[in-house]
Amino acid sequence: MTRVDVSAFLGRWPFRPIEGTVANLARMMRANDIAHALLSAFEGLFYADPEPANEELLSKIAGRKGMWAAPIINLRVADWGEQMAHLARNRQVRAYRLASTFHGYEVGLCAEAAREAARLRRALMVQVRLEDERHLSPILSLPPASVKAIVEIAAAVPRAKLVISAARLPELLGAAEKVKRLRNLWFDMSHFDGLECMRQACDAVGAKRLLFSTSWPFFYARSAVLKVEEAEVTAPARRDISASSARRIFALR
Amino acid sequence: MIIDIHAHPGYGRELGELRKEFAAALRAAEHHGVRWICLNAIADWTQSPRPAAVRKGNDAVLALMADHPDRVIGFCYVNPRYSAHALAEIERCVVKGGMGGIKLWVACKGSDRRVDPVARRAAGLGVPILQHAWYNRSGGFKGESTPADVAAMAARHPKTMIVMAHLTGAGERGLKDIAPYPNLHVDISGGEPEAGMVELAVKLLGAERVVFGTDTPIRSYGATLGKVLDAKLTRRQRELILFGNAKRLLRRRLGR
Repeated sequence: MTRVDVSAFLGRWPFRPIEGTVANLARMMRANDIAHALLSAFEGLFYADPEPANEELLSKIAGRKGMWAAPIINLRVADWGEQMAHLARNRQVRAYRLASTFHGYEVGLCAEAAREAARLRRALMVQVRLEDERHLSPILSLPPASVKAIVEIAAAVPRAKLVISAARLPELLGAAEKVKRLRNLWFDMSHFDGLECMRQACDAVGAKRLLFSTSWPFFYARSAVLKVEEAEVTAPARRDISASSARRIFALR
Repeated sequence: MIIDIHAHPGYGRELGELRKEFAAALRAAEHHGVRWICLNAIADWTQSPRPAAVRKGNDAVLALMADHPDRVIGFCYVNPRYSAHALAEIERCVVKGGMGGIKLWVACKGSDRRVDPVARRAAGLGVPILQHAWYNRSGGFKGESTPADVAAMAARHPKTMIVMAHLTGAGERGLKDIAPYPNLHVDISGGEPEAGMVELAVKLLGAERVVFGTDTPIRSYGATLGKVLDAKLTRRQRELILFGNAKRLLRRRLGR
C-alpha cells in the first residue's frame, strides 16, 4: 500500500544524535512504501525566526519527487504573514506548521494564521508536542498545546484546513464529539499508541479524519506503519488513513 | 517466534472484563507473530496495593494462563512492603501455579531493602524479576524506581535475573546506570518509539541484555515491534531481542 507521511522532519534534533537527511529520508520512504512526505525542519522548532531553517529545507528538497514542505512559522516574528505569502510561491510548500509551545505563544493565536493559510490555499499543521514530556531536556519547558483550543480554531475558521500533529489518543477522544462535526480538521496519528489505538480513533472520529504520519526521524517510521497494519478496520478506512485523505488535503499527485 | 516479556491483561477490575480486553491483545499478538505473552496484573493499579488486591490480580493472570496455556506466561505481581504475603504469593503463583517470573512496580524502589527477600527468592527459583523504572522529569510516584535504584538492586543480588522495564524512560543516562551489571537487562516496552534507542541499548549493554516487551494495553504491538524492526541491527541481534534473551530468562518455564 502506497502511503503519504504527513509529518516528518529534516535536520538535526539537538538533544540526541538524530538527523534527517534527504538520503536517509529517501531510504525510509522506499522501505515503508511512502510515496509522499510532508517535511519540516527540526531547527525551525528552535530558531526564534525559522526562516533560515525553512530556506535550507526548501533548498534540500528542491525538485525531489515526493518530498513536500510544511515550513515552520513563528507567530512571534513580526513578518510571519509575509513569510507565509513568500513561501506560498514555492510549489513544494503544501502546508505550514505552527509550534506554539516551542515558540512561546498561546495556541489561540493560531486562528489568525489559519485565516492566512486558507487565503493562501495551504493547510495548517499545529504541533501539540514532539517528545514525551516526562523526559524532555531540563532546559525545556514544553507543555503540550491544547487540542481542544485547536479544535475551536477549526470551528471558528471553517475555510482553513487544520491538521493536529502529534496529539495522543486520549486528547483525540476528549475532543471527538466536536471533531466529528467539523469538516476541516484532521489528526496525524504518529503519537497515538495503546492496544487498538487506531480502531478506537476510527470509532471516535472516523477514518477520514486520520492521517498516516511517522514523526521520523524522531520516531522509528516502522512503528507507524505497523500501527495502521494491525488496526482492525476496513480496507477503505486503511486507504483513507494511509494516503487518500492526505492526497486531497495537501493536493498531492 | 516472538516473546513479549511485559504485558498487562487490561484496565478492567473483574476477570470478565480482563478476558475481553486481553482477547484484543491476543489478536494483535497473533497478527505480528508473537507466540508468548508474559502477563502481569498490577493489582488495582494503586501504588502500594493491599494483599487482597494483589491476590485478585494474580488470580486473574492464573485464569488467563489456564485459558491460553500455549500463549500466556504469568508474572506474579507482589508488593514488597508486605513481605510475608509477597513470598507466599510467589509460592502460590510461581512454585505451584507455574508462573514464569515476578513483577515489581512502584510500591517501593529497587534500592529499598524490602525488595531483598523477593530478589533472593527469585534467584533461588531461577525466575526473572521485571522491575518498572523511569527517569521521570516530573518526579513520578513516591516509590518509583529510577534506573539507578534498579542498578543498586542488581548489585546487591548478582545472581538474580532482573529485567528493567522501559528503555525509553531510562534513556541514555539509565542505560549507563545499569551497564555494569550483567544480571540486569532492559525491556523496550513503554514510551514512544524514539529512534536510535534500541541501537543505543545494544551498544551500551550488548544485544544479549535487551528484551522485547510492549506494556500492552498501554502501548501497541505495532509501535513497539517497529522499534526492533526499524533499528539498525544484525539478524542475530534482532533475534536475541525478539525471543532469544527472553527464552533464556524464562528457562524455568520454557525449558532449555
